[in-house]
Amino acid sequence: MSSPALQVPEASVGVTPAPPTTTGPGGQRLRRLIERREAAIFLVAVLLFIYFAIKSPAFISYANFVTLTQFLAPIAVIGCAEVLLLTSGEVDLSLGTVFIAFPFITYFLWANHGFSIGLATAVGVIGAAIFGLVNGLITTMFSVPSFVTTLGTLFALDGAMLLLSNGTQETMTLTGTGGNILGNWSWAEILWAGAAVLLMYVVLHRVRFGNHITATGGNLLGAAEAGVPTRRVKIYCFMLAAALAALIGVIDSVRITTLDPGNDGTLVMFYGISAAVIGGTSLSGGRGTVIGGALGAIVLAFLYDGLNITGVSAYTFQLVLGIAILVAMIANVQLHRAAMSRFGRRVTS
Amino acid sequence: MPNSEPVEVDPRSWEGSRRRFLRNAGVAALGIPMLGGLVETLSEVPADASTRDRARLTKTNDILAQGSVFASHPTYTFNFVNHVTTNPFFVPTQYGAADACALFGCKYQWTGSSTSVVAEMVTAMNTATAAGVNGISVPVIDPTAFIKPTNSALDAGIPVLAYNANPPASTASQNHQLCYIGQDLFQAGVEAGNRILPLVSKGDLVAGLIATPGSLNIQPRIDGASSVLKPAGIDFVEQGTGALLSQESTAVEAYYLGHKDVKFMYAVDDGTGEAVATTITKHGLAGKVFGSGWDIAVPELKAVQSGALAFSIDQQAYLQGFLPVMYLFLFTITGGLMRPSDTDTGLYFITKDNVGPYLAAPSRVEGSTTAQTVLPKPTTAIIKADAGLS
Repeated sequence: MSSPALQVPEASVGVTPAPPTTTGPGGQRLRRLIERREAAIFLVAVLLFIYFAIKSPAFISYANFVTLTQFLAPIAVIGCAEVLLLTSGEVDLSLGTVFIAFPFITYFLWANHGFSIGLATAVGVIGAAIFGLVNGLITTMFSVPSFVTTLGTLFALDGAMLLLSNGTQETMTLTGTGGNILGNWSWAEILWAGAAVLLMYVVLHRVRFGNHITATGGNLLGAAEAGVPTRRVKIYCFMLAAALAALIGVIDSVRITTLDPGNDGTLVMFYGISAAVIGGTSLSGGRGTVIGGALGAIVLAFLYDGLNITGVSAYTFQLVLGIAILVAMIANVQLHRAAMSRFGRRVTS
Repeated sequence: MPNSEPVEVDPRSWEGSRRRFLRNAGVAALGIPMLGGLVETLSEVPADASTRDRARLTKTNDILAQGSVFASHPTYTFNFVNHVTTNPFFVPTQYGAADACALFGCKYQWTGSSTSVVAEMVTAMNTATAAGVNGISVPVIDPTAFIKPTNSALDAGIPVLAYNANPPASTASQNHQLCYIGQDLFQAGVEAGNRILPLVSKGDLVAGLIATPGSLNIQPRIDGASSVLKPAGIDFVEQGTGALLSQESTAVEAYYLGHKDVKFMYAVDDGTGEAVATTITKHGLAGKVFGSGWDIAVPELKAVQSGALAFSIDQQAYLQGFLPVMYLFLFTITGGLMRPSDTDTGLYFITKDNVGPYLAAPSRVEGSTTAQTVLPKPTTAIIKADAGLS
């Protein structure tokens, strides 16, 4: 006689069920934790932390923690923004360039046109959202793959930034409380990043719009026929992603006091996509996790900072970072496949 | 909201998945330390040293650590933050750092950004500070970005030197690096301008070609030349070419095709210099349109030898790695009595007349070989030329 708590799913019909086992609430909670998509990447992050902490006690020093969070912040925001887009079935290659370029708009409004830094930042962020709107419209209205759309807009934005800035670095030094809030204070950037990630978590996992994003990416036609406004969903994702990338770009520029149009935004974009993917978000859409994206960013930050702090030089650094990303991704994929094959389609998320 | 309740399944299935999970976790737990071991093995000596050199360097470190020259001391670690970590210009710089470390029984780390991303350099500096290294060297390619990280390092008792690029006058008083080791960039531009003047006439178009306008390691070279050429009535214009060699080649050629009246193409970095040489050669412009390069990449030296370039400039990149290590080591081991001092690593014009020794044999100080070699002693002509006697 089966325990009332034990229900055999359709996929297991024909399989002789094992004798019922008694699992307490604590055990069930633990099992649900391990079943989560993010469990693997969380484990990888913990192992990396332990490894680097043992290798170099400086890794767990306060000073290094501050440095680590400053490196983590933009990758976490861009990574989680890519989670939204990837889940909806799209990708945005221009987010790194948005991160570099739109702070220039903020700077020019503030330095040359007398805007307050708050207003200038708001205008920059809104401008980025409009840029995201353009990406979304081109992708949805003209059925251009987002890879191509955002590749084109990446170059166009890069060129526009160079023209606007005349290719010259600018210095942005803020003072006072405003400056502290917008990046001078050591913890400002990670707090802003945390707020942005929290917003994206709520959007994807806690409101109906998140269901629409997942449905759109998982089955576009089915979602549309079910009444989901799939075009609008994608456009909103592009806009939100660009706005948050621009915001964290302003914060980062204030922190380091410089804006450089020659900076390569594609690197931070690749870090962001790596964070999203190794955190468990599917490249084919329909499945995404903001927590996973944040954990993926943490893994990358641990690797980057840990390799630096343990004295790895630049040539070896690239090799090791690449291998480490592959290993983390393989571990994540294997674990998820194991969960999918054993538990069927329904996995806790 | 999706139903987040898990589906209860056959515990045997769960057991299998748990086994796989634990297996994979074990793989990760083993893999990370193994990866770390790989990192350690690859990081023990400079990646570019030959096997024989590795053994020699390690042995030398052991001997010096035992105090054969200086008193016994810990193995100090010095961090080089760089803006273009993979740029071949800095290969001799790394050799210089490696050789100095071998002499003084120290270690160095080469880190920073491969694409001049200031935020990455700032992160690298802060990480080095947190790691408690014994000294940091950094090219100050931004007027303000390195003020805070330098102060943080100083507060942590870590001396900081500037190399290859020094802060501009506008923020020099806020940038507290102990000294600058490198070329006087503005003066180098002035001298280059003086070399260009005899080759052009009043009203001629001279293009100042720069990879990344505004970057403090190269912009002063443009500014220095401009300060000479414009007052002389030369139509001097600045043109950006991009940071990648492929970009620079296209940009320079496109500029020439759109400005066929240009009389001199003045490049202030080695990539652009190569691009200028390629354009002059490709279009058969030698003798009609002049060009110049910067630094001693082999293609540029060959272009000087062939006449495609009127001159290039040697700033002795090897010394920009050797001297910071030496200064930081002496500063550390003497308790601060031997203070680092500003050092101009030189401004040497390489022309068709004196390019020979650069191309005669590969040398470690040029970065053209990893081997330690002894080259023929300088000729009287070289010595007198270096002394300012023709």
